[in-house]
Amino acid sequence: MNILIIIFIKFVIFILKCFGRKGGNLPGKIAKKLNPDILKYLKIDCPVIAVTATNGKTSTNNCIKSMLENNGKKVISNSDGNNMETGIITAILKNCKINGKVNADFITLEVDENYVPKIFTKMRLDTLVILDFFRDQLDRNGEVETLILKINEFLKTYNGNLILNSDDPNVSRLGKANEDNENVYYFSVEKYEHATKEEKEAGEGKFCPFDKTRLEYDYYQYSHIGKFHCPTCNFGRNEISTKATSIDVKNGKFMVDNVEYETLSNNIYTIYNFTAVITVAKIYELDAKETLKNFRLDNGRCEKVIVNGSETLINLAKNPTGANVSLRMLNEDSDEKELLFVLNDNLADGVDVSWIWDINFDIKNVTRIVTAGKRAYDIAIRIKTTWYPTEKIESYLSLEEAVKALYTTNTKKYVIANYTALQPTRKEIKRMNI
Amino acid sequence: MKELKLLYLYPDMLELYGDYGNIQVLKYRCEKRGIKLIVDKYSIGYEAPNFKEYDIVFAGGGADNEQSILSEDLVKYSENIKQAVENGTFFLLICGAYQLFGKYYKGVEGNIIPGLEIFDYYTEAASDRKKRCIGNIITEVELDGEKTKVIGFENHGGQTFNVSTPFGKTAYGNGNKFEDSEEGYFQKNVIATYLHGPLLSKNPKVADYIIQYCLSRKEGTNVTLEALDDTLEEKCREQLLEKFMREK
Repeated sequence: MNILIIIFIKFVIFILKCFGRKGGNLPGKIAKKLNPDILKYLKIDCPVIAVTATNGKTSTNNCIKSMLENNGKKVISNSDGNNMETGIITAILKNCKINGKVNADFITLEVDENYVPKIFTKMRLDTLVILDFFRDQLDRNGEVETLILKINEFLKTYNGNLILNSDDPNVSRLGKANEDNENVYYFSVEKYEHATKEEKEAGEGKFCPFDKTRLEYDYYQYSHIGKFHCPTCNFGRNEISTKATSIDVKNGKFMVDNVEYETLSNNIYTIYNFTAVITVAKIYELDAKETLKNFRLDNGRCEKVIVNGSETLINLAKNPTGANVSLRMLNEDSDEKELLFVLNDNLADGVDVSWIWDINFDIKNVTRIVTAGKRAYDIAIRIKTTWYPTEKIESYLSLEEAVKALYTTNTKKYVIANYTALQPTRKEIKRMNI
Repeated sequence: MKELKLLYLYPDMLELYGDYGNIQVLKYRCEKRGIKLIVDKYSIGYEAPNFKEYDIVFAGGGADNEQSILSEDLVKYSENIKQAVENGTFFLLICGAYQLFGKYYKGVEGNIIPGLEIFDYYTEAASDRKKRCIGNIITEVELDGEKTKVIGFENHGGQTFNVSTPFGKTAYGNGNKFEDSEEGYFQKNVIATYLHGPLLSKNPKVADYIIQYCLSRKEGTNVTLEALDDTLEEKCREQLLEKFMREK
């Protein structure tokens, strides 16, 4: 029966391909309808790595994939970002034999936070990387705490490699879910030049999950990520496996274990992701240095393009932290610039746009702001309320008009777009570049 | 310089839905008119505040966990708060804070979290944990005899009963309960509502009602506020009212 399902799905993928469709979720959806436990049937003999988080899943998973490939490994991955069960089924079925045998050296997957328990009770998991947990589309995902408890429950019986961001209390606490697991690896990033004494941006996890005491911070890197500890218990004092030091965000350089890593990225948040990648490389005794040097994901994640002579940086922001990270990069850049913010409220974005009020709009050297998207006015009001001059804000419901207006000057541009706004915005910007 | 004093309750705990934006809007609209808005904060571990000293008290919505921690703390001040309400201090209470000012909150398992008992309404968790009132909402309210449509976003599992004087009539969305015709609680110096958005960002008339009430009370005469340039807000309202009514 399962053989028939796999043959049929491969046929579906082929047909979709003939019509120029990638088939991200549909084949997996059909397979799951035919056998909800199709994942159990697959014969996987290679290590499975999974990355989950609120922010940074796609970038980190793709970077792990590149790292593995650069080390000569054959890798299966859902690098397109389809990170729910159906997307993962599609990615694997595409690359397995009809008897369900998976032919690869590694599988590396990005997995939606909510799907981790569901998927990995059905298939093997060797290494789980958890980067961060922030508030994200509350109307869709609910509270962060509920999600953390769900993953904590799953980890109670998990004994594989667990790579955790020690600087995020929401993630770090998961190292205690299974005291018997000897394969917990914490990574951490040393204080960088723009770290602050006070929290600058809305964050979660202010209280110790074990004894409810307010956590104390030596410094905050961004949002609630930073060096914290509980004053009454030992929470926050982990033995660090991978520590990034000598952080030079401006030049994209840092050190781990006396090796200098060069990157094409200029933000603290990517250095965290890369430190996680280095931890994976260490576990499998592979090299990450060359990969990080050239790694760039050109799909609107810190994507740099030149349009009609203006330097443009496009970045996705699905939640306050995503937007704050972009605005940090904007503020850390001393040049004069203009900002385009595209905000939609489609189902996949979260219908509730009140998260924009958790963005820290303390912006410097921005000479003009263009807003667009289905909620162009909401974001304009948000910006106006920070005393940014109203006459320098232009709002357009039409994205095409907004992008046209943006490129009437050749000042440097920063573009922030939320989930469903990102690809249309990229397309519109690229159309300008003729 | 004219000034108003606002007390912001549990800023580090009741901060889940950007409700802080309400204070930013109040501050913006005050300062545009040359009125200084002083914002004091109170949270667990701070010195006890005297609620009566303030013109406005604000509290927003938070995560369940945080909310149960702070309700124990807030109950200590119930007498002081009661006096402040009677005295005329303005209370703007959103979502979780709205519930806390009622008699009690009854959880799914029947457990009772006592409220401040300032008002007579009470809240019960929806029997199905997964069912919540979530979505855009339009409420028709009347402020100082003037009717206006209030736009916001609701996201609550609690169902609030026994509201004597609601904030408004639901024109789109749920309200105090699933598919309710009424939303929030209102008296001259109290707006308690489920509306996030934040509430005041898309409803400048509500913001100005609060400012006008507080100034008039403070000065003992009927103050008229100078009009502000609300072009962006008006465009936003026009667009959203049209969009939501179309989806109805």
